[in-house]
Amino acid sequence: MKKIFAIAKKELKAYFKSPIAYIVLIVTISVFNIFFFLIIDGDREADLRDVFKCMEFLFIFIVPLLTMKIFAEEKLSGTMEFLMTTPTTNTAIVLGKYLGSLVFFTIIIGITSSYYFIIEFFGQPDRLTILAGYLGIWLEGALFIAIGILISSWTKNQIVAAISSYTVLFLLYFSIGFIKYFSGWAEIVIRYIAIWSHTGNLTAGIITTADLVYYISGIFVCIVFTRLSIENRLWR
Amino acid sequence: MIVAKSVTKYFGELQALKNVSFEINKGEIVGFLGQNGAGKTTIMRILTSYLPPTSGQVFIGGQEVSKNSLTVRKKIGYLPETPPLYSDMTVRDYLKFAARLKDVPAKQQCVQIDKVLEECRLKGVQHKIISILSKGYKQRVGIAQAIINNPEILILDEPTIGLDPTQIIQVRGLIKSLEYERTVILSTHILSEIQQIAHRVLIIKAGEVVVDKTLKDLLKEFNSDLEDIFLKLHLAKENQEQ
Repeated sequence: MKKIFAIAKKELKAYFKSPIAYIVLIVTISVFNIFFFLIIDGDREADLRDVFKCMEFLFIFIVPLLTMKIFAEEKLSGTMEFLMTTPTTNTAIVLGKYLGSLVFFTIIIGITSSYYFIIEFFGQPDRLTILAGYLGIWLEGALFIAIGILISSWTKNQIVAAISSYTVLFLLYFSIGFIKYFSGWAEIVIRYIAIWSHTGNLTAGIITTADLVYYISGIFVCIVFTRLSIENRLWR
Repeated sequence: MIVAKSVTKYFGELQALKNVSFEINKGEIVGFLGQNGAGKTTIMRILTSYLPPTSGQVFIGGQEVSKNSLTVRKKIGYLPETPPLYSDMTVRDYLKFAARLKDVPAKQQCVQIDKVLEECRLKGVQHKIISILSKGYKQRVGIAQAIINNPEILILDEPTIGLDPTQIIQVRGLIKSLEYERTVILSTHILSEIQQIAHRVLIIKAGEVVVDKTLKDLLKEFNSDLEDIFLKLHLAKENQEQ
């Protein structure tokens, strides 16, 4: 456990030592703020549902920037050899890296919690719906990070990792749009893996076991595959 | 201390190691000598459990590496060919990170870091970012992380490659100062380096151990210097192959 925290701390510090972290933070929060203002000003409702929809979509662009270097950089610089020859389990390496990225992502989400206090000041929002919405976008980000880290473990090239992550996340996000072309089991599978079907429920304040299972199992599968991927000796 | 039994390694079709066997005793400084691509790094990676052998076994302290890799890794300090450094970290932060991963007890971490900073003469740069250090300093930081947990075995892959003569002398001095306390394995293709540091030599050619002798015995047997012996062995083998 100590090693997981040591790796997570190192990852988190690495974010703040690179300009990418600051650019992501500043750009993300600025864009979120603009959307928040436009949506609240236009709808005049004490509700963050539309804001969450924008955030959901923007995470597709943000998360690969955070995860592309996680393993790709270690492999390229040779530090993977260092990590894997210390008495640290591969699970601890993967979990530590995942935790570091998740904490950074949580900081972004944490900053946007000010939106709640703003609408609370001006109206009477449904607290539980907003809380469920935050849970939804946090889980979505957590799944995106797990996918990004898995893809980063496949390559030494950060650009390849980022572009591949964009492709997978776009497919996951827009797959629901292709559902009309499928029927039978394919339709069921696409409906299940499409992220929209699940985050939509949570941002509307509906927490279902199926949605939670979707995110948690998705994260779990990605972490297990990442562990297998770094164990794969072929690339060494 | 270290026993390799019939170790073979394939990378796809390429056979990188052919039936490699050797024994290394506690406290020895052993030099792996060979041309580029001879298989020195592959042997070292197998010893550190970074790579699994295709066949054969490696035992360190009586434990098989592939079955007890976590326990074995605690005994080993390893410097890969390219020092594995996080360029955005300071020297001290990096060593602290290495100490945590290598199970140095929390209370001893500061003392241990100060000790290796002293041993590797890094005190003056401990708060500097690694990316701005010279190659010699980076190499010493690499050695410092390898000895941070006071390992019984030190494996150094070409520790002086790419360094200027002054830095080479400094790094060699550092390695020499570690003898008696630890078993040291170092790989190099610089013959004089082996002559100055090692007690024993393993000459590796095309994945095979062609010589495994103490330096004293080897020089006595051939009645020549190491450079001549190395050339003779390689040329003889090449002539045989032709």
